[in-house]
Amino acid sequence: MSAGSSCSQTPSRAIPTRRVALGDGVQLPPGDYSTTPGGTLFSTTPGGTRIIYDRKFLMECRNSPVAKTPPKDLPTIPGVTSPTSDEPPMQASQSHLHSSPEDKRAGGEESQFEMDI
Amino acid sequence: MSLKDDDSGDHDQNEENSTQKDGEKEKTDRDKSQSGGKRKAVVPGPAEHPLQYNYTFWYSRRTPGRPTSSQSYEQNIKQIGTFASVEQFWKFYSHMVRPGDLTGHSDFHLFKEGIKPMWEDDANKNGGKWIIRLRKGLASRCWENLILAMLGEQFMVGEEICGAVVSVRFQEDIISIWNKTASDQATTARIRDTLRRVLNLPPNTIMEYKTHTDSIKAWEEFHGLVNSSGR
Repeated sequence: MSAGSSCSQTPSRAIPTRRVALGDGVQLPPGDYSTTPGGTLFSTTPGGTRIIYDRKFLMECRNSPVAKTPPKDLPTIPGVTSPTSDEPPMQASQSHLHSSPEDKRAGGEESQFEMDI
Repeated sequence: MSLKDDDSGDHDQNEENSTQKDGEKEKTDRDKSQSGGKRKAVVPGPAEHPLQYNYTFWYSRRTPGRPTSSQSYEQNIKQIGTFASVEQFWKFYSHMVRPGDLTGHSDFHLFKEGIKPMWEDDANKNGGKWIIRLRKGLASRCWENLILAMLGEQFMVGEEICGAVVSVRFQEDIISIWNKTASDQATTARIRDTLRRVLNLPPNTIMEYKTHTDSIKAWEEFHGLVNSSGR
């Protein structure tokens, strides 16, 4: 009886709150915390952040001056990395593939333009 | 017909398995001589955007009529170059022909640096690949979408992705993406869902998953048939 009485007499109080009026022009936090520049929504995984690019960003990098020049060690493969007006005979193509290292040693970058195929 | 063509391409890859250790050493020496000396690491330049991983482009072409062997595989697959940044990728890609303009029986492979584009590589041997068969005319666009998604880490499967392949054949083209662990169904399902999103495929396109173990078995059976027929 006394226990019950004690319980029923416990006073209750409202949770304290404070109201703050925001003035005009107050800047709210930006809404894109979960993205990274050029990345996607899910760019963070346990153990660290992975380097993520979406298609749009990758396409934009295509126009970078750095990406314009051909790689200095691009191998010469007719019909693949260098133009060929006619499809060369199979034997010639095979022979060229075989001799590609020699072309590199002989003429380096210029050889791909001097090729007769 | 189409299945045979696809297997034919895979046969070439499998042949590498029978290379002797001397052959491996020879290949290594050749790679060194091709690079003109010590092979230096490929790193992003100062103004470039680094990728999560370095990747290597390979090109392979099968000469019709020649029997498949480890030697012919070695001769027919060629490393184009390795890149470490977005800009370095565009350097190579912009100076390569589009898959749709390749002639004959040709493949482009794009694999993480250090992984060879063959079933038996340590990174591949327990894995498999999603295969998508395309009618002629779609390969260039789908291949570009696939490799941009792979380089940009859109698949969100950690280190599971090994590489991607586009195979140009007479009647159809095939694109595939290889992952390390065929038995990890959560990962393979996630790769499939991302493929659907990034490739923008025609609605009725069929995707199939094939383990490299199954590819090896199919190749061995085919090879056995060839032997028994006395070709």
